[in-house]
Amino acid sequence: MTTRLFYDLVALVIFALVIVLGVPALMGFDGFELNTFARYLALGIASLALALSWGGAGLLNLGQAATFGMGSYAMAMHLKLKASGDGLPDFMGWNNVPELPLIWVPFHSLGFTLLAGLLVPAFVGGLIAMFMFRARIAGVFVAIITLAFLVAFQLVVIEEQGITGGQNGLTGLAPLNVLGWSVDTYGVGFYYLVAGCLVTAITIGLYLTHSKFGLILRAIREDADRTRFLGYNVANYQTVIFCISAALAGWAGMLYTLVLEFASPTYMSVSFSLAIVIWCAVGGRDSVLAAAIGAILVNLLEGRLSDIFVEGWNLMLGVIFVFVVMFMPRGLNGLVGDAWRFIGGRLQKERTISTRPHLQPEPVKSGQEN
Amino acid sequence: MDVILNQMFAGLSMASILLMIALGLAIIYGAMGVINLAHGEFVMLGAYAAWALQTYAGFSIIVALPFVFVAVGAVGWIIERVIVQRLYHRPLDTILATWGIGIILQQVVRLSVGAESRFVKGPELLSGNIEIGGLVMSNYRIFVIVFSLAVLAASWALMTRTEFGMKLRAVIQNRQISECYGIEAKHIYSVTFAYGAGLAGIAGALITPLFSTIPTMGTGLVVDAFLVVIVGGLGSLLGAASAAVLIGEATALFSMLFNDTLGRIAVLAGIIVLIRFRPRGLFPSNTRR
Amino acid sequence: MSQLQVNDLHVDFGGLRAVDGLSFSVAEGEILCLLGPNGAGKSTTLDLICGKTQPTGGSIRFEGTEISQLLEFRRARLGIGRKFQVPSVYKELTVAENLSVARSRRPGILHALTRFALSDGHAAAPILERIGLEAKANELAGNLSHGETQWLEIAMLIAQDSRLILMDEPTAGMTIEETGRTAEIFRSLSESHTLIVVEHDMSFVRTVADRIVVMNRGSMLAEGTIEEIETNEDVKTAYLGH
Repeated sequence: MTTRLFYDLVALVIFALVIVLGVPALMGFDGFELNTFARYLALGIASLALALSWGGAGLLNLGQAATFGMGSYAMAMHLKLKASGDGLPDFMGWNNVPELPLIWVPFHSLGFTLLAGLLVPAFVGGLIAMFMFRARIAGVFVAIITLAFLVAFQLVVIEEQGITGGQNGLTGLAPLNVLGWSVDTYGVGFYYLVAGCLVTAITIGLYLTHSKFGLILRAIREDADRTRFLGYNVANYQTVIFCISAALAGWAGMLYTLVLEFASPTYMSVSFSLAIVIWCAVGGRDSVLAAAIGAILVNLLEGRLSDIFVEGWNLMLGVIFVFVVMFMPRGLNGLVGDAWRFIGGRLQKERTISTRPHLQPEPVKSGQEN
Repeated sequence: MDVILNQMFAGLSMASILLMIALGLAIIYGAMGVINLAHGEFVMLGAYAAWALQTYAGFSIIVALPFVFVAVGAVGWIIERVIVQRLYHRPLDTILATWGIGIILQQVVRLSVGAESRFVKGPELLSGNIEIGGLVMSNYRIFVIVFSLAVLAASWALMTRTEFGMKLRAVIQNRQISECYGIEAKHIYSVTFAYGAGLAGIAGALITPLFSTIPTMGTGLVVDAFLVVIVGGLGSLLGAASAAVLIGEATALFSMLFNDTLGRIAVLAGIIVLIRFRPRGLFPSNTRR
Repeated sequence: MSQLQVNDLHVDFGGLRAVDGLSFSVAEGEILCLLGPNGAGKSTTLDLICGKTQPTGGSIRFEGTEISQLLEFRRARLGIGRKFQVPSVYKELTVAENLSVARSRRPGILHALTRFALSDGHAAAPILERIGLEAKANELAGNLSHGETQWLEIAMLIAQDSRLILMDEPTAGMTIEETGRTAEIFRSLSESHTLIVVEHDMSFVRTVADRIVVMNRGSMLAEGTIEEIETNEDVKTAYLGH
């Protein structure tokens, strides 16, 4: 086991202990507070999904909100059907839809819904990825294409009112019922469900980053051509990480619908996609755990501060974001890492009084040149 | 037939606005490879500057244009100096930083001027329409079309016929060598960024009689303008002009055939496909990479 | 039986014929040096063989397979490795990670998904020892000195273990001592690998080359052993100008 893997596992265990034991105790097991915190945890999954493609492979996906929205709508469709009993969902009546559209029918089944919430985003993400990466689209063009896709996708969702509920989204949902357990989103059990999902997602992410697959993606991030000449099918590697990232975003979307009890086209807006990018950048795009923590911290801060500065919060967020991009390209994760090394260096110096001047390693440039 | 002609005129009018916005973006992108997502907010600032000049000083839009150009250009200059300049070696991060700057500008305007929409009167001189058969063309829209062509010509002359343009092209070709010959690349970049921002400001001022002026007005515009730049080919002014006409007309055509939303979706899809197959745009400059 | 056969190869860059009707072949285990004045098309020839550039005409056969239309990664999988003129190690990866990426005998995604990043570290140890970087295995490659970077690249070629290795000016910027050591490594590589080397340093060429192909204006000017080339009148004219 490498030392980095060891540190990451220790950090994961501490993190898991904090959110599973610490947070509920701190909140006094208050249902409302726990529900709010569960929302942050769900967003943490969306943020770490972006870290996998952006930090891990240098592919800035500005359309992450689209795949998040797909998961969120999948779950909402299931719960809407449950709420409507044998009848049609109410909004379809308002839109003169005569019978349940074919695409809705399989969402009666929870099993299908859960699969669709993961696989539909993965499939769509995979299609876009193949489309881009086979043509060796890279760098800023990936950002622009995914952004254009997001804008088009949100327009479609809003346009197709009869199927999607249009601008209003899907509201009036039934509670989730899993094998007889009716999920109370203000209960401690639901909080543990979301926390468990986040810890699982981080574990998956950590495994991917530490696998040879993750290593090759980092190689591709730095120099795709060189990696091709070593015999790796770069487009396939990029496509697979895009699929995984999209599936995780879909997972986050499903949980988000459960927490908020509705799905809205604003989940697929450009500004929501930007929000995901901000969380990920603040936490640290190189690490899935840091990205998740970034999402939790920014949202926690937003929850606390937007009460006080209702008007100024977005301005502050913009300032924080620009600051992070300029001076902390590796986010809080980079700060912690530097501090750790600084302390470590101090200790070592005290132990071995070296006569040579201490050579500072060159700062590592982030791999954004491609 | 009249419907089609009128729709084509609407498309042309749209194209002229897109062109004005896209020109600044194309110049900035072509010169330094920066995807400036705050560009829409420069347009918004231009619109608010025109509104302020009209409300508090009684300036007509046309009189206000030079002031708007200088004011927004100055904002662009400061932003380039303070932020963008530090990120030239991290292109992906410039997208993010300029996006953040966009949010900041938007929020500053929202907090200081308010979120409600503001109205600006078009110039008296240009009210009224010209009618040819069933084709109705507003004088103001004709003015915007002509003006955008004039700005295109002026920008082209600036790039190809002046010493500044020569230095800029030298820096684009090879920054290190240009610096060896005593061209201050940093300075050239700042001025170019300011010029691009100023153009966006003028575009914003000109569209005030046609769009409602709100803090978020730039967000929608910048996406379209971007598409114009990318479709046109990096840094190619004439390419941007052709692409603006293409996208303006395509949007108008699809909107007529289906509806506005589907029109937009169709254009977005077309553009995604275009980037995929011609990543250097329809009219790439003929230099060896 | 030759391992690589290049036949009547052409490539145009917007009217400029960079390679114009080039034919040559390389036998297994041979070290072939490509010589020629600047702009003769040597690097372009390597680009064509490894797939960086697509030819406009002609054929390239590697171990009996026509490869001129294959994508780069397919050629690499067949056993063609390339070292570029600019040192191209992964600066953000550690030395050990660089070697792990270079060991690409099983480049599939499933294989990569089911392994930890440095699970093949034991295989890298002898290579690191050979180039004297074993103490720096966990150092970022970006922190290596220029010479060490060159060694790492050669180590990556050894790890990649391609049957045919294409090298573009491998000794550029090396001291005489380092050049000597490189020549040694090349000789030992040629026991199990074929090498095509573009090189200007004639003393290096003299030490390593089994055979030499001299190019001028995109086609072959002369071919033979070092003695034959050094006495060839055409070659003198091409280098010195008539």
